[in-house]
Amino acid sequence: MEPKTDWEPRVVGFLCKWCSYAGADLAGTSRKKYPANIRIIRVPCSGRVDPLFILRALRLGFDGVLVSGCHPGDCHYQTGNYRARRRFAITRKILEGMGVEPQRVQASWVSASEGGKFVEVVTGMIDEIKKLGPNELFTDGRKNRKTEK
Amino acid sequence: MTVKKIAKKELARLLDEWSRQFSVLVPSVETGVAQMTGWQGEDTSFVDWYRNTILPPKDAILPVMEEMFSFSKNEDGYRLEMSPPDSGRQLIFGIRPCDARALAMLDVVFKQDYEDTYYMRRRLNTVLVGIGCTNPYDSCFCTSLSSGPSDTAGLDLMLTDIGDEFVIEAVTEAGRELLDKSQGMRPATADDEARARESRDIANQRVTQNVDVKKMPDRLLAAFDNEEYWRKIAAKCISCGICTLLCPTCYCFDINDEVSDNRGARYRSLDSCAFCIYTKMPVENPREEKWQRVRNRVCHKYEFYPRLFDTIACTGCGRCIRLCPVNWDITRTLNSIPGQ
Amino acid sequence: MEEKTEKLKNEARKLLEKGQVCRIVGFEPGSLKFTTTPLITGEKDELDRLVINPFIVNNLSVYLTGLKGCVAVVAKGCDSRSIVSLIQDNKVNREDVVILGIPCSGIVDLSKIEYLVGKDRDELDDITVANNSITVTVGGEKREFTKSKVLFDNCLGCELPTPREYDILIGEQVAPSPALESGKLKELKDMPPEERWRFWKEEFSRCIRCYACRNVCPACFCNRCFVEETEPQWLLPTPHWQDNLLFQVTRTIHVAGRCTECGECQRACPVGIPLRSMTREMYDLAGELFHYKAGMDKDEEPLLTAYEVEEAENFFG
Repeated sequence: MEPKTDWEPRVVGFLCKWCSYAGADLAGTSRKKYPANIRIIRVPCSGRVDPLFILRALRLGFDGVLVSGCHPGDCHYQTGNYRARRRFAITRKILEGMGVEPQRVQASWVSASEGGKFVEVVTGMIDEIKKLGPNELFTDGRKNRKTEK
Repeated sequence: MTVKKIAKKELARLLDEWSRQFSVLVPSVETGVAQMTGWQGEDTSFVDWYRNTILPPKDAILPVMEEMFSFSKNEDGYRLEMSPPDSGRQLIFGIRPCDARALAMLDVVFKQDYEDTYYMRRRLNTVLVGIGCTNPYDSCFCTSLSSGPSDTAGLDLMLTDIGDEFVIEAVTEAGRELLDKSQGMRPATADDEARARESRDIANQRVTQNVDVKKMPDRLLAAFDNEEYWRKIAAKCISCGICTLLCPTCYCFDINDEVSDNRGARYRSLDSCAFCIYTKMPVENPREEKWQRVRNRVCHKYEFYPRLFDTIACTGCGRCIRLCPVNWDITRTLNSIPGQ
Repeated sequence: MEEKTEKLKNEARKLLEKGQVCRIVGFEPGSLKFTTTPLITGEKDELDRLVINPFIVNNLSVYLTGLKGCVAVVAKGCDSRSIVSLIQDNKVNREDVVILGIPCSGIVDLSKIEYLVGKDRDELDDITVANNSITVTVGGEKREFTKSKVLFDNCLGCELPTPREYDILIGEQVAPSPALESGKLKELKDMPPEERWRFWKEEFSRCIRCYACRNVCPACFCNRCFVEETEPQWLLPTPHWQDNLLFQVTRTIHVAGRCTECGECQRACPVGIPLRSMTREMYDLAGELFHYKAGMDKDEEPLLTAYEVEEAENFFG
């Protein structure tokens, strides 16, 4: 693991196509600055975010996962974000219960007009993760149980 | 062959002595499950509680998972690095006769046609020191398979419990050498040997489960196409991998690559014929249904393997019965094959 | 117990004779001491083997999704909730199943007895279960234990010992036990996060991926489990502790709102991973966050397909 000073967090963001992705776009076209630590994956709806996406991202070594979609009541598909909320709440809570820092797994409602809010959310999240340090949850592979002894 | 004896309270010292030449494995529950783990130099209390491990000792030779080689890519090209198993010598202390016999069955498979480096390297460097059972489980049925709680087949040294002492008997040449070199051994008297015999007889009588293995391959072959029978037998099986993964004679494995960025490794891990995807192929699955998989497990052990290698690939350790979440009992199946 | 067993045999016989069901799923004595084993049969002369006793561990509803036609199934309180949950998920039709409800006063955890007396199951001579105590005879010596010491953890504080959904009830109603926080769960909650993660890492280092936890679970009814997917390959089939852990986390999320705390996953685990500490947490979460209790009402929408407009609001910033 490289020394902490050189380390820059990598965060994956699952953004809903209708609101949050457009919100991120707006932040860009408005020339607002936000940390380049986030890698954005566009999803058709926050309801598309399977808990496995989040878990897999953490397993691959991403330092944080952001899920973002339309505000309640604004879902393009009526109820996708409500379902996303239940699933996300459960996923985050169970990860917290296992000992994962909850700041690594965040969610936010960002509408297409909220470029400013998107910047705030990302900046805030990256700050928090910088304080936490790199995701070392899954490091230390168990190569061979016998020789490890 | 040489017969000696050692006091139980001398055991820790003996294991320490052997630790200088071997990495010594003893039964332990330190990891949270009874299995063979490295001798830590103190605790010999296993002599009192240990009946058999949950993870079979084959784990020390054919582990649940092992890295075969690793690979990486950079500007200069690809790089492969073998991950050979430890070539150090190991000694498994306290292996039960059923599990030692089981290793002999694995040997045949891993030597035939192609010699498996990973398995053979560990196997050839392993010394097996067995302890005869004094208190077999109610699920044990080794005596039905021309073996028993004091069977020495496959072992290098055999210990028999005679109270405060163990009578040690060399089975192989390697065992005899080890025994001759070991300190603190006293010759066993005729009286000791008589007590050992008595102890073995008692243990033999304690194995109460019975399986009728007469004409076994043929009887199973005759019942092979009896779908109705197999469906009935298999109804309660839940297709988990306990019976196979924890079986001392099961050897099926799967190979997978783990790749991230420019590097990765190839792993071998145990696989189980109880899983539906075990035989899954692009177009079809010859053992899609549960009854076909149950039939395969029984027939592999009692029909296909004996036809190929002249011995039943089951040693009656009873793990599959004891640990099965639904108490699916192979002895009941074997004793109820139609047309007996 | 004998009375209940007799009643069950009679009811089962009637059901088969009238042709109301084509199969009975119940328990028969197991091949080993103090064990029982599932009996799945359509033959009347096998019904005499049926038994009800304090050792009927399995949750038989796991067989329902694999059996065709109308089936009668023996169900304790928690099992009946699993059936209800399967009905909610459209995996089982209510009309296709006859529930033979067993009011249950707790199932004996043999591993606890083994621990308490320091002997294995097959070394015990006798176990007698009375109203509040259990007497274990070993080596001619009798030892008495209060029930709370030897019942499965999930039986202590059972919310629904008597099935709510049933067609025939075998025996008298049993009152729910007072709620009880499991010791292990409390212990885990009190740990600092890093220690908790270390704890689970160690536990899952033992996992051999036999999938017994998944296969005994009636809530795990997928035709193809996500671990068997290869495109994308979510997890490696190789038993690295990381993948073992994520497998179980995902499984726990998948059974959210379906898990009825029957405890089968933990009982089946051959390497003794305390899986119920995870499922119990999920069970509590469903209650705390969404006021949802699995398998209570067959007409209720399942936890993960339903929603309320105002709920869990603090999770989204």
